[in-house]
Amino acid sequence: MSVRINPDKCIACTTCVVHCPVAEATPKFLGPRMIGPAYERFRLLGLAEDPSLHYCANCKNCDISCPHGVPVSSLNMMARADQCRAHKPGLRDWVLGHGELMAKWLRLIPASLKNLGMLNPVTRMALDALGIDKRSPLPAFARHSFRQLMRHVHQPDLERRVVFYPGCYVDVYDPRTGLDMVWALNRAGYKVIVPDELVCCGLPMVANGFWQNARSNAEHNLKALAQWRDAGLPVVTGCPSCALMFRVDLPEYFPDIAQKYGACRLADAQEFLLDAVDNGDFSLAADGKASQLPDLRLIYHAPCHLRAQGNGLPGLELLRRLEGVTTENADAGCCGISGSYGFKKEKYDIAQEIGAELFARVRESGAQAAVSECGTCRVQIMHGTGKYALHPVSILRQRLDMR
Amino acid sequence: MSRIVDVVVVGSGMAGLVAALVAARQGRSVRLLTSGMGSLAISGGSVDFLGYAEGRFAANPWQSLALLPEEHPYRLLGVENVRAAFDFFSQTMEEQHWPMHAATAEDGSPRNTQLPTIMGTLKPTYLLPSGLDAQAMATARRVLVLSVQGLRDCRPALVISQLRRYRSWADKEFAHSLLPSPFGETHRAVTALDLARLADKPQSRQWLLDALAAHAGSCDLVLLPPLCGSKANPEVWRAINAAAGCPVVEMLSIPPGVGGLRLRDALLRALNQHDFELVENTTVLRAETAGKTCTTLVADASGQERRHTAHAFVGATGGILGGGIWLEPGKATESAFGIDIAVPQDVAQWSEPEIFGRHLFSHLGVRVDRAMRPVDAAAAVRWNNVFFAGRSLGGYDFATEKSGHGVAVATGWQAGRMAAAAAAGGENQ
Repeated sequence: MSVRINPDKCIACTTCVVHCPVAEATPKFLGPRMIGPAYERFRLLGLAEDPSLHYCANCKNCDISCPHGVPVSSLNMMARADQCRAHKPGLRDWVLGHGELMAKWLRLIPASLKNLGMLNPVTRMALDALGIDKRSPLPAFARHSFRQLMRHVHQPDLERRVVFYPGCYVDVYDPRTGLDMVWALNRAGYKVIVPDELVCCGLPMVANGFWQNARSNAEHNLKALAQWRDAGLPVVTGCPSCALMFRVDLPEYFPDIAQKYGACRLADAQEFLLDAVDNGDFSLAADGKASQLPDLRLIYHAPCHLRAQGNGLPGLELLRRLEGVTTENADAGCCGISGSYGFKKEKYDIAQEIGAELFARVRESGAQAAVSECGTCRVQIMHGTGKYALHPVSILRQRLDMR
Repeated sequence: MSRIVDVVVVGSGMAGLVAALVAARQGRSVRLLTSGMGSLAISGGSVDFLGYAEGRFAANPWQSLALLPEEHPYRLLGVENVRAAFDFFSQTMEEQHWPMHAATAEDGSPRNTQLPTIMGTLKPTYLLPSGLDAQAMATARRVLVLSVQGLRDCRPALVISQLRRYRSWADKEFAHSLLPSPFGETHRAVTALDLARLADKPQSRQWLLDALAAHAGSCDLVLLPPLCGSKANPEVWRAINAAAGCPVVEMLSIPPGVGGLRLRDALLRALNQHDFELVENTTVLRAETAGKTCTTLVADASGQERRHTAHAFVGATGGILGGGIWLEPGKATESAFGIDIAVPQDVAQWSEPEIFGRHLFSHLGVRVDRAMRPVDAAAAVRWNNVFFAGRSLGGYDFATEKSGHGVAVATGWQAGRMAAAAAAGGENQ
């Protein structure tokens, strides 16, 4: 490891232990203070790793709660990278860390067959044996990826342009949300460019211990983003985890690459839209029949990776400005899924335990649907509550666009 | 972050939450910026007011206020304002179904309570959760001190041997016991918080009720580490007192702070009923000012600068450990607004040889007027719409006075109220 984070900013106040959802759910996990800064001192001395390191979900609640700015989750992820260099992670972790690559390999197979292949009971039993819990809500492949669909979208001829980074979840599993985002950005007066050269942000690779793969993705992406930055175009994403990866994690994990390409930040698309509303570029007045829609009650879940960005909750703010829509903030902490964490056999029950408070809040809210920016949070909410969960832009489109 | 709000509060400890709530209650839109989660996650569940004045125990803290130096925040506010602030806090807790009360002396006047700690020492504190019966500590003859197997922080035998040194506890009959751990063998050392969280849920609360019931009838008072739930839920306390068959008193403990989480829970619940927005994980970098007015705070948000424009601002950023005050050799600065705090060049003068002495570092902070507006060396107000609260203020030493939460409540109330008024004035202009 070329870079190390100094653990001595930690004063052992235990605030992170209080706010760690995994430590709350299981005493098998030593907790962020111990696994992060405290154990880092042992690591620097070359002493053995604690066996509970793998329980860290990289949800970032330690980073959010730390009063001294100690990047606890990064300490944990770097330790995991070291560990995985010595002991290669298994096939299960490779599969969960490389969703985008798998989708590319399987591109020529029709989605129905892929889903039949992946989600049928026999395969689920095989995946279960591999370590992907058979109860977990593995999402289904979309018939066509978002990028494939984008080639057929006819956009209005707008002068201003914006680059949209869909993220793997939208691209592979949930292209409809991507199309809703394109609609919203068009409405804000921007023509949307979806570049082919951008790849997975690398967060699932880091979380599953594939540091080198994450590094090569980072280099690839930062190089591509630098071109758009230099062309003066804003780059936005609707996925909080991708945004956090580019804004905070990559410069911390790979400072040399970050330095080489300069700051290449991904902006939050919801904040971008909110700014457009405030500038008068984006109208929240409903078109045509949409103005006669019945009132809608929603419950909003703030993804941890959004809370970690220090930008507040612009998606919630957008929803709250919609006529005829009431949105309650669930404010019930982490949903438990943390990307691929909650799919793992030894973590599934922990993830459900973490999400229990949110599930109860959503079920008791009486809301017609749940809303969250993060794709896997939505999967987990649907799994835990049976209630439909959507991205805020999908709500915007449903309420405003009825042509 | 383009929306202009009435009041921006910086800091989510006791002072920041109280200031935000006071302003929100007056109908102002409030945005709270926080870096970390504030001190309530690591503090106890009672509210200290003033335990010691001039180094002596303050039986009735209201009477001891006059002994404080003039620059002390309580003196700046005056007794009536401090009383109004405590009334506001008590009323809020009542509304959130977590009533708090002060113990009373024989003549009915409020008094401090000497609450045992897990080290067997006594600490004066003022507002107690209503489930805690302070009188029982005076009248109980037989005291049972309990801890839980695997809870390394609390040793009942130590608690007893230490408590016996105090006259008020010396004559009591003590017994002690370790409750079986509901977790069994664990990889991590169990904390009071782990146990308190079990007590939050009805299905996992039963182990504690059963364990207490096994000792019922053997004592008049049970001393426990703080494990009676991490939420402001009175039902847990009722069940626990009923199971023990006698009053249960939680001892004050070390972090993680179970009791403080209950206060945080109640305050956030109250705030979420208003036009309130919480922006987490952001650090204020600087203030933009025009003459006597602050217009905007610029904050770091994951490597980018974000502007927070408002009509009024409250700084409740904490002290040296909380990040509200930066120290360098020969220099102390308030971190959000960059206010210079006067300190001697020679750092040797910042502390005293006597550990419980009056250290400069423990009471240095922002100097304010009665409205909590920061003032310069000539006592002139710096900005008309900026107010400070909590440990970022100078003039008091919470550790030796035992006044931390109390000063936070009182100054948070004043700062929130003044910010609400300034915001209303700002809008009219």
